[in-house]
Amino acid sequence: MDATKHAPLEDRHLALGAKMAPFGGWEMPIAYPSGTVVEHRACRNDAVVFDVSHLGTVRVSGPEAFATLQKTLTNDLTRIQPGRAQYTHLLNNAGGVVDDIIVWWVSEDRFDVMPNASNTDDARAAFGGIDVTAERVVLAIQGPMARARLEGIAPEIAAVPRFCVREVTWGGATVTVAGTGYTGEDGVEVALPLSVAHAFFDAVLEAGVIPAGLGARDTLRLEAGLPLHGHELSATITPLEAKLNWVIGWNKGDFIGRAALEAQRAAGVARSLVGIATEGRQPPREGAEIVVGDTVVGTVTSGNFSPMLGHGIAMGFVDSSAALSVGDDVAIIIRSKALSGRLVPLPFWPPRES
Amino acid sequence: METPENLRYSSDHEWAARTGTTVRIGITDYAQDALGDVVYVEAPAVGSTVSVGAAIGEVESTKSVSEIYAPVAGTVIAVNEALADHPELVNADPYGEGWLCEVAVEGEGGFDALLDAEAYRALTD
Repeated sequence: MDATKHAPLEDRHLALGAKMAPFGGWEMPIAYPSGTVVEHRACRNDAVVFDVSHLGTVRVSGPEAFATLQKTLTNDLTRIQPGRAQYTHLLNNAGGVVDDIIVWWVSEDRFDVMPNASNTDDARAAFGGIDVTAERVVLAIQGPMARARLEGIAPEIAAVPRFCVREVTWGGATVTVAGTGYTGEDGVEVALPLSVAHAFFDAVLEAGVIPAGLGARDTLRLEAGLPLHGHELSATITPLEAKLNWVIGWNKGDFIGRAALEAQRAAGVARSLVGIATEGRQPPREGAEIVVGDTVVGTVTSGNFSPMLGHGIAMGFVDSSAALSVGDDVAIIIRSKALSGRLVPLPFWPPRES
Repeated sequence: METPENLRYSSDHEWAARTGTTVRIGITDYAQDALGDVVYVEAPAVGSTVSVGAAIGEVESTKSVSEIYAPVAGTVIAVNEALADHPELVNADPYGEGWLCEVAVEGEGGFDALLDAEAYRALTD
């Protein structure tokens, strides 16, 4: 195992009083003194900034870049164009998800591919490219007020539309901006060279954006029903089981894992991802059994207290043979006790009008 | 971290305050800080008998669950009902509004063996 990596902005996080913890091989802020719940609500109501420099950036460039990615990853790059971002999967031959990835198609022959922190080497093994992770800081500014607060300090960054990618100049440096995120809120993710990273972070805080740790990022993505690799996605879970059919470019040519997915599509999945709302504040936890009566029908992959809803929420896989659907009652077993729950549509937040 | 002089402490990060035969129990400032935002507290049942070191409840944060161990032996006579809807009181005021339960002890109930503030500070430094 490599030595722990340190975020280039670690001095700022420590000065803000952040609680640091290991995250995918990096020492990253988990929460600031305001705490995870306050940071979570600030993202839903206002704007927060996360340091997500632990995500990898692999630069795939040159005339073969498009073809290489198109035949490796699941999603169809012909659905987008240069200047756009796309969520996609890297599979193994069995159809399992090696990693879930955001591709920033920066310009015709240049793609900045962002795997999860710990999967960067697997990604490079599959499609090559240069690991430029150490050369930049990535900040995610998220929330309904994110663009308004950025407007005063970085109008060009604030203006990058949802799922668009732009290179803009800030502080004399070229920064890459994508209208992407992982919270269920509007916002942007900004990749900055180290030379301007501290100045930009300081400016963002001065604009009234609240620093938030990876603890809040996790509760936010859970409420938004977004999968986390190692939980809802893994080398033994397929995108079809995770109900992410839209990530698969069925109309394009071959890609890694295609044959296995086609077989699974024809046969039907044996289990699939569901959302469960539980009664009371007790957080359901990863690994807990999902039961109907005395029968175990599945397992929780992520669970927590929902700060916005005020009760427990969980995602997990249930057996298709249990024939469950939204509205059905289930229980989650936590330390030998049954916590009552009900299948609900994802995302948990925002709640659907009923 | 605050470690009030007038309280006693267990090595499991509970505090105890004795008034006559009643011992009020909570988790320390150090413990709440390590846990992060508390979102759920499972308190012991009033009337239950507890022994020193027995698991009597749970405190859950957004990131983990931690058991509460009884620092003294006796009978639970009260629990802090406010924590059911406001578990964040454990973070905001661990030695005050965030108390967990009260135990009626017979004799000293193990209280005298608990750490004083200086010894607890040494443990958590």
